[in-house]
Amino acid sequence: MSRSLGVAALAAAGFAWWEGGLRQSSLAAHSGILVAIGLAFAVTFVAGRGRQQVRSLAWASGPWALRRHWAEDPPGTLGATLWAILTLAVIGWDLNSFAHESRDLPTLSRIFGHLTSSHVGRAAAVAAWLALGATIALGWRRDR
Amino acid sequence: MSAGAIVWWVLAACLALWSAISALRPDTPGPVAIPRWFARSWLGRVLALCAWGGAGWHLFCQRP
Repeated sequence: MSRSLGVAALAAAGFAWWEGGLRQSSLAAHSGILVAIGLAFAVTFVAGRGRQQVRSLAWASGPWALRRHWAEDPPGTLGATLWAILTLAVIGWDLNSFAHESRDLPTLSRIFGHLTSSHVGRAAAVAAWLALGATIALGWRRDR
Repeated sequence: MSAGAIVWWVLAACLALWSAISALRPDTPGPVAIPRWFARSWLGRVLALCAWGGAGWHLFCQRP
């Protein structure tokens, strides 16, 4: 298992370096990202059958029982609320900057564009993106 | 520095501060708790994957 993980990590690093050297508008860059997205979805469904912790309906309705959560776990509820507020603040400010289209209001993707303008920066960002995708696809599964 | 950039710096500082505090406190959900919460059900996992894929397409294939 650890050997296959090592091979996968090495392949992902190679892909990130290759993708990092491509231009955003190139067909190769588009194909590479689409293949990675397709692979992540395929792995998610193949590895995840019967291994989810909670049913979707229970998961979706869970956060709304705020009073019960607060009674059971005040610090956890407060912490989760702060995360939600910070996330909404980032999304809200990004949407505001996008809507105004002003040089004084850079969007998150414009800032990101500066960070990924070099080969190394783009490759590092692709590697981080792949790691996050692999975590979402494979992480925190119930044992069979 | 533009006004928008200052707001981004403030947001980044708040996120970094709260990430550090919540990671150090065992009774508070840290930054890893967000993807872990999404990965609890099929719906959450698929929603997170869609957001991840959309972000990747936008950042690496369109002009950021």
